Amino acid sequence: MEEVEAEEQQGFSHQQRLKAAVHYTVGCLCNEVASDKEIQFSKQTVAAISELTFRQCEMFAKDLEMFARHAKRNTISTDDVKLLARRSNSLLKYITEKNEEIAQLNLERKAKKKKQAEDANQSSREPAGGE
Amino acid sequence: MADRYRPDSEPTTRTLLQRVLDTADLRTPRRRRSRRTLAQRTFLESPASKRLSSQTKTTTRRRSHGARSVVRLAHVQANGDLEEQTPRTLLKNILLTAPESSIVMPDSVMKPVEVSKVVQSSRQESSQGSLELQLPELEPSLTLAPGLPAPGKRKQRLRLSVFQQEVNQGLTRSQEPPGNADVSSLTSSLSLTFATPLQPQSVKRPGLARRPLTRRAVDIGALLQGLRDNSLASAPPGDSLRTRVVTLSADIVLEDTQPFSQPLVGCSPSVHHSLPHPSHIGIEDTERAVSHRRQSIGPGQQSHSDSTAFSIVSLPCSELQPQPPEVTEAVGSQEVMEARKSKESSEDEDTSGRPGKRAKLMAVLSSEPLESMPVRLPPRPRTAGPRHHQDPYKAGLSYYAKLFSFYAKMPMEKKALEIVEKCLDKYFQHLCNDLEVFADHAGRKTVKVEDLELLMRRQGLVTDQISLHVLVERHLPLEYRQLLIPCAFTGNSVFPTQ
Repeated sequence: MEEVEAEEQQGFSHQQRLKAAVHYTVGCLCNEVASDKEIQFSKQTVAAISELTFRQCEMFAKDLEMFARHAKRNTISTDDVKLLARRSNSLLKYITEKNEEIAQLNLERKAKKKKQAEDANQSSREPAGGE
Repeated sequence: MADRYRPDSEPTTRTLLQRVLDTADLRTPRRRRSRRTLAQRTFLESPASKRLSSQTKTTTRRRSHGARSVVRLAHVQANGDLEEQTPRTLLKNILLTAPESSIVMPDSVMKPVEVSKVVQSSRQESSQGSLELQLPELEPSLTLAPGLPAPGKRKQRLRLSVFQQEVNQGLTRSQEPPGNADVSSLTSSLSLTFATPLQPQSVKRPGLARRPLTRRAVDIGALLQGLRDNSLASAPPGDSLRTRVVTLSADIVLEDTQPFSQPLVGCSPSVHHSLPHPSHIGIEDTERAVSHRRQSIGPGQQSHSDSTAFSIVSLPCSELQPQPPEVTEAVGSQEVMEARKSKESSEDEDTSGRPGKRAKLMAVLSSEPLESMPVRLPPRPRTAGPRHHQDPYKAGLSYYAKLFSFYAKMPMEKKALEIVEKCLDKYFQHLCNDLEVFADHAGRKTVKVEDLELLMRRQGLVTDQISLHVLVERHLPLEYRQLLIPCAFTGNSVFPTQ
């Protein structure tokens, strides 16, 4: 019983910390927007937004897990994320672009690694040959 | 009955049958007589067998053997005691009438007189009602058959033989002799013509000729077009649905009165459209959405016919008749624009199944308003139409709007009902899109129960506490429960048995 309570408390405290972190981030963003648009944000607004964000994140996590399970996978992939984000077009576009960028980066990294490996091999051969 | 023993130098049917007869004779009670002739027959057979082995036949050979055949015939006649109709007699008839020429050698010499006589004899023998074999090639028969028919028939046969001689030369005449032979035959029973030995191409009765099967590939477009023609009772122009899809943007036609058989026809063009695309999604989407609607809209809803399935993708239009057409037109135009916008928004999404779905939606949307245009112009006779001449795609939504007004327990404005219909339409479109996307996400082209469960989970109807089966048991009638939960009624036995 105590362990369960301790775990609950731990979880709760963990959650609280996460919420606090989200609240802080939302506050910062709101300040930025306020400075851009010259509109003031009340604290209740910021609090509401942060609470909303937190719950939505929970929903996202559950949905992502469901989607991954639906596709009979154990890992959440970018396809699941895209499925999640398809409601808003701009978000989907953004995500797909990012995805492509990441894919390109991966390819470039692989190419670089291969080149480095080849150079290392050549350099190792040359001194060996030279000697 | 005269027995004919024909010398055969070719491996024709005749020779084979002859052999059969010879061997069969040994076992008959008439052995004594057969034995007398047996030696000669065996003696004669050996050259015959030699002849059989050799493939090439010549007329001279046959003629040379003609002399021998006389001897044979004399002996064979001794065995003419058997008069009953036995297989042997039939075979003998065959031998009598079989052509001497083989299949290998198309050209064979025929002796007209003998031919005629043989034909006569064969006809007589077979006149008792058995199988009659008519063969254009008749070998020369040297001995006459007993009981010759009237000379008139001989003359006929002669003419026939002359014909048959000419048949060799001209293939075109080949069809006549068997006809004549048939006509002049004594029996009217089944007649077979062995035409192949002489002319493989000729001597075919035109009636028996097998016509090549003319199979035309089924044209789906034409079929669907025909269906639509039948249902609309007016011939739509030759432009296909595709052109209609293209011209959707230009046409904002008000939903108009259409016969009730529209949904079936309207669906088929959409099916036709989405054939190149993953096509099953649309129909199954609608079916799934129908079943889902039952669950989601509210308890106590009765199941409705499948025709309402098509209403899911229908344009939301006014369901009530007395409305003036302008209002409906305006509403229809609004909804077309909105639907198009929503579709365009969804176009950006990159699911593979989306084009198919979009095409289907567009096809359905385009077909039903565009159909009303050509339909309205000519006065079309109505088949069994509903009381209110409505667009059947609206018909389903109007049903839900009516339910809405019923459950509201308050009088509702018509505009309110319109908006309700609009919302329902958007909702169902979105639903179907989701289902399609889910199915595609799982790498499938068919929407299945898992997709619906996922959808309901997203909607919050199915939670960790409440499962789909619980909802099914709560809200659906027993028959559907049986279908959806297969283990419920499968004759479960309890363990341990008490």
